[in-house]
Amino acid sequence: MAYSDKVVDHYENPRNVGTLDKSCGSVGTGLVGAPECGDVMRLQIRVNPQTQVIEDAKFKTFGCGSAIASSSLATEWVKGRTVTEALTISNTDIVKELALPPVKIHCSVLAEDAIRAAIGDWKKKNGVAEEAHAEVAVAS
Amino acid sequence: MSNDGPRTYFEIFSLPAKLVIDLPALEESFYALSRKLHPDRFAAKSLGEQAAALAESSRLNDAYRTLKGPIARTEYLLKLEGVELEEQSKSATEAARATGTAKKQIVPEDLLEEAFELNMQLEEMRMARKMGENDPQLRSDLLAAKAGFDARMAATQSELETLWADWDQALDASDAPAKAAARDAMVALLNRRSYLRNLVRDVNEALES
Repeated sequence: MAYSDKVVDHYENPRNVGTLDKSCGSVGTGLVGAPECGDVMRLQIRVNPQTQVIEDAKFKTFGCGSAIASSSLATEWVKGRTVTEALTISNTDIVKELALPPVKIHCSVLAEDAIRAAIGDWKKKNGVAEEAHAEVAVAS
Repeated sequence: MSNDGPRTYFEIFSLPAKLVIDLPALEESFYALSRKLHPDRFAAKSLGEQAAALAESSRLNDAYRTLKGPIARTEYLLKLEGVELEEQSKSATEAARATGTAKKQIVPEDLLEEAFELNMQLEEMRMARKMGENDPQLRSDLLAAKAGFDARMAATQSELETLWADWDQALDASDAPAKAAARDAMVALLNRRSYLRNLVRDVNEALES
């Protein structure tokens, strides 16, 4: 099976590979995995406490080309969005953008999980309630 | 279950849907059933009957192979129980999206952390090799990790056997909650096992290359 050009591009030139300081209060870390293929994906975000805008995102993924491309794309997409906006990114958006074949859909699911997990971790750290449209208490 | 539809692999061998299986008896039964379907017995029969016997024989082979293997048998039973192992991750994501909460991970967090750490070490080792270096410390760390994962893989077998007994007992007692508990525990165990299996495979590859 051939990978689409976009997958190859992200795989060969992955954006935002790296690590953010896990212990930092403004950083949220999501570590997720898919038992189907044994992939592991870590996605981290740095959130501006005033604006709730995701100012930086990094990932590190061990898995196939599609898993790497999905997480690379996810970091690109979350950057510059607020956490609420980032939560609207769904795996089908990723599937469409990367033209993933059905057998690789779980890779996009993993990337969505990773975004959600990173935001969840950030919310927990900052005492934001884990609800769909929670009123956000910004620590100033 | 009626005899009209396709029979389950258990039914083909006239067995209840239990997981503790007498393997020598299964083998005997397989040979006896195979003899009944042997092409020689159908040489004088119509083409339709020959084709039907062939199809049945092929299904019998699938049934035997599936029930013989401990993992294949467990996965098959879970499938009969409506568990789609391949779909769990997606369903959990959909649930998370609907409720706006973080997804319930299918694999325990600590195992994910371990998988991540081990992959980092493997990558480090591959990079070092590329640079023509050979770090003996890294190699011995990986050997130790390999021994640990091998042992845990081996342990999953006896854990699985315990769950089989739980399942069979719940089935005999028609205890639905106990059946569900045994089923869920088997799903969790198989998920953990598939991670361990991949880790063992990756470590072996790195050590051999």
